[in-house]
Amino acid sequence: MVSDSLKIAATERSPEIEFDFGQGTLRFRGESYPEDASAVFGPVFVALDRFLAEAGGRNVLAEFDLAYFNSSSAKALMNIFQRLDGAAAAGTPVSVRWLHAPDDDTMREFGEDFQEDLEHVVFTLVAAEPTD
Amino acid sequence: MLAKYYRAFKEDLDQRGIIFSFSGYLSEGILYSLGEALRQKMTLEETDIGTVKKVFSVFVEQSQNIIRYSAEKLASDSGQPIELSSGMVTIGSEANRFFIVCGNIVLADDEPRLRERLERLQGMDKDQIKAYYKEQLREAPDERSRGATIGLIEIARRASDPIEFDFDRIDPNSFFFCMKVSI
Repeated sequence: MVSDSLKIAATERSPEIEFDFGQGTLRFRGESYPEDASAVFGPVFVALDRFLAEAGGRNVLAEFDLAYFNSSSAKALMNIFQRLDGAAAAGTPVSVRWLHAPDDDTMREFGEDFQEDLEHVVFTLVAAEPTD
Repeated sequence: MLAKYYRAFKEDLDQRGIIFSFSGYLSEGILYSLGEALRQKMTLEETDIGTVKKVFSVFVEQSQNIIRYSAEKLASDSGQPIELSSGMVTIGSEANRFFIVCGNIVLADDEPRLRERLERLQGMDKDQIKAYYKEQLREAPDERSRGATIGLIEIARRASDPIEFDFDRIDPNSFFFCMKVSI
């Protein structure tokens, strides 16, 4: 049986994560600074691999709306982007939206850094006021 | 005597510009609560949002380094995976800048490696630090560091001046390690 979504609620130190397999959307929202990032992101990598395997050429939209993340979460994000870029290279159209507050230079710069490193995904930086 | 003693202690902290200082066993829960208090205090004082974020980031990386690497740990003897690490984190302001200081005990065997990493970062300018961060982001973490390298680079990236650090020998097997970052 294939489930059509994955939803992990935010905690004090980890983001809300939503995968909608039907819509082809992934969303990360909030802050991420767990001491052990692999415990938070390990299940996400597994779900993402399945998600990308099932995407089979359909459009995938990944949205990152993060206000802050620590260095071990940055490594996990890089890992996610490498998976997305790999899927895009193999023919799945992948769009990434990287949201940051208009005055948040740190998050904008992180977005630019990831953007520079990715070759196959369509990466868009979006300056937007936080939604809450 | 009691009030006099602790008033002097508090005044000493105040004179050093210390906003707060934590010493003892540090957990993720304490890190979260201190971090929230820090952000609230800085926001109430209308500190520039970029500065708030930099100070918070350095505070998180330093605290997580203590949690991971302090050689002074208290482990549960009931076999449960509970481990507390001891150290200190101090945040204050001086000369219109914030400073974040962390201190903890490290094993003498780990000192050369830590010193070498920090000296390497001290010798880099902002662009080199950024390039080094990007390079390390792509690297698989090496066994012993559990992500320390990128954590130190993140600290160096947010710092307004090169990181200051020092080691004070306690005994043949250990040092007190201290790091100060200004923003």
